[in-house]
Amino acid sequence: MNSLMDLLPVIIPLAIIQVGLMVAALIHILTHSSYKMGNRILWIVVVIVVNTIGPILYFVLGRSDEERS
Amino acid sequence: MRTYLAFCKKEFQENWRTYRLLSMIAVFVALGIMNPLTAKLIPTLLNGMDMGGVILEMPDPVALDSWAQYFSNISQLGMLALIIVFCGLTANEFAKGTLINVLTKGLTRHTVILAKFTVASLIWTLSYLIAFGVTWAYTIYFWGYETLPHIVVTFISPWVFGLLMIGCLMLGGIAMSGIYGALLAAGGVVIVLNLLNLSPAVHRYNPVTLAGGTYGLLAGTSTPGDFIPALWICAGATVAIVVGCVLTFDRKQL
Repeated sequence: MNSLMDLLPVIIPLAIIQVGLMVAALIHILTHSSYKMGNRILWIVVVIVVNTIGPILYFVLGRSDEERS
Repeated sequence: MRTYLAFCKKEFQENWRTYRLLSMIAVFVALGIMNPLTAKLIPTLLNGMDMGGVILEMPDPVALDSWAQYFSNISQLGMLALIIVFCGLTANEFAKGTLINVLTKGLTRHTVILAKFTVASLIWTLSYLIAFGVTWAYTIYFWGYETLPHIVVTFISPWVFGLLMIGCLMLGGIAMSGIYGALLAAGGVVIVLNLLNLSPAVHRYNPVTLAGGTYGLLAGTSTPGDFIPALWICAGATVAIVVGCVLTFDRKQL
């Protein structure tokens, strides 16, 4: 039977990646004030709610090329 | 050749600085980890559900379940990530007008296309290998080492289909000068190929069966011969599309 302990070697790296991506995207959102599309609130919600794909969507579609403000 | 390598380097740096490389690797590592985990968890999840009195006897998960997840995830989540990350590959250049400078300084147009395709393919190859490696490592960790039959045909097929997708994204981006063109081309190709797949007669020749269909080789329900024609057609179509990109781009007004 699967106990949680058996699965820890899988769950921990997965969590690190997902949280890491989310934090990287959130830092980028909060240090920039303009976006290619959408606004800050929208991107924060997307990045937090949609795991893995949310941060990717932000980096590809929302991230503007301007310097940080 | 020197300009080609220089442009490859520039492309690589662009992918690095726009977080595309990082996103691809993160998604494919996550995808690789998810496969054995889902295979392990599905019986527990199903047993936990109230099915209105129906008792489901789930067999214990085996290594094959992990690979089933791998092919289903690669063909859906993997292709989705590939398309999202590379949809702006050629389209963004038109939107920003950044190619005009380098092209007027003497960089040939086909160099641009070939370098873009090379770098995108390299990133895809790396991500794909990572997902495969991670799944394999965890599968061995949970279920012990088993040799995989027909390993080359089985695992090269989704990769070749990914190359076809990159080609479609580039051609769509050039022909319709925008991200939407790229998405339309890649999405259109997938939809048309899936519609064609409704007829069993074309399965052998249809590139879309490569995306997830080679699981049958591991399960023992199909033979490599079932996929070889589709592999050749897919590889040929990719080359044709890249040549098409070069020809379209040569006539394109920037």
